[in-house]
Amino acid sequence: MSKIRTGEITTHVQRLPATTAPALGGEPQVVVFVHGLLTDSLASYYFTLGPAFAAAGHDVVMYDLRGHGRSDRPRTGYRLEAFVDDLAALLDGLEITGRVHLVGNSFGGTIAAGFAAWYPDRVATITMIESEPPVALWNEHMEAGLADAKTHLVLEESIDWIAANHGAHTARLSRNAGRILRTTTLAEDVPLSRTIDDDLSALTCPLLAVFGDESGLSAQAPDLEKRVAGCRTVILPEQGHSVLVEQPAVTRDLILEWVAEHTPAGALR
Amino acid sequence: MLRDLLAEEGLDDVEIDRDTTFHDDLELESIDLVTLAGSLREHYGEKVNVALFVADLELDEIIALTVGQLVDYVTQSLRSAP
Repeated sequence: MSKIRTGEITTHVQRLPATTAPALGGEPQVVVFVHGLLTDSLASYYFTLGPAFAAAGHDVVMYDLRGHGRSDRPRTGYRLEAFVDDLAALLDGLEITGRVHLVGNSFGGTIAAGFAAWYPDRVATITMIESEPPVALWNEHMEAGLADAKTHLVLEESIDWIAANHGAHTARLSRNAGRILRTTTLAEDVPLSRTIDDDLSALTCPLLAVFGDESGLSAQAPDLEKRVAGCRTVILPEQGHSVLVEQPAVTRDLILEWVAEHTPAGALR
Repeated sequence: MLRDLLAEEGLDDVEIDRDTTFHDDLELESIDLVTLAGSLREHYGEKVNVALFVADLELDEIIALTVGQLVDYVTQSLRSAP
């Protein structure tokens, strides 16, 4: 297991080096995958997109966010900017100095957008899967959602209900999420995160946004396309929030094509 | 290897056979499977690529993965390697 110091915490990272030469020539692109909040870890990518990207000639970096998986879980320090700075420290630690392609799922997409806004020189493209950029409205959504989660997921009867209605697997994920909420200030910190302006002028790199049409988040698609130059949105029909888990092959192909389109042929990254 | 992982979870006396599932019987999470995949790769080398093996499975199949299935995969990979 590979652990690396990122500021005041240690971060669990898994790399899958490119197993073939990049199809378009040039140096392999570095693709960094950022997972979602509470019920998630780097395993979501390790067992879905990661191997396919390495097989397509990319250097894959997957890591556990602070508080999640096998990374450290400090009691405090869970505003978005801390997650963004962890990512910068991780790239420094791995000696990755060129521009990277960031792929984020849910909260991970918000981290990707924050990173693109605050470290624009380090980013080639970002992909947001079922995510919102870190604008003021996002903080409001997170405040409501996390307060609700903290009320329910720490109760044993809620976990029993989840087990009965959604199965043992989801119940176990929920119990773990409850543990994070109970032992850290995450639910209080995230809604106080640093934001970017509503006009999204801080996002200057190409953006791919993938949504499920049933999740509600897809309503942002027109605004994203209008406000971010080089933005492409894809809305998958009859799909809820769990795009990555329920449609890994579709998601993989969309992002592989996107990264290939944004790889300078024969050029150094 | 699996014993080491289970010992970390305080489960060092649990019985394991081919039908034991990682998820329900051993209560391992997917992130534990990542750790196990890493240990297998370190031990056997690049030809044992559990990430690739599991990436081809559906979520339900990953949840139902048994010790026997993983053993078969590792055995096959080692046999087919040059």
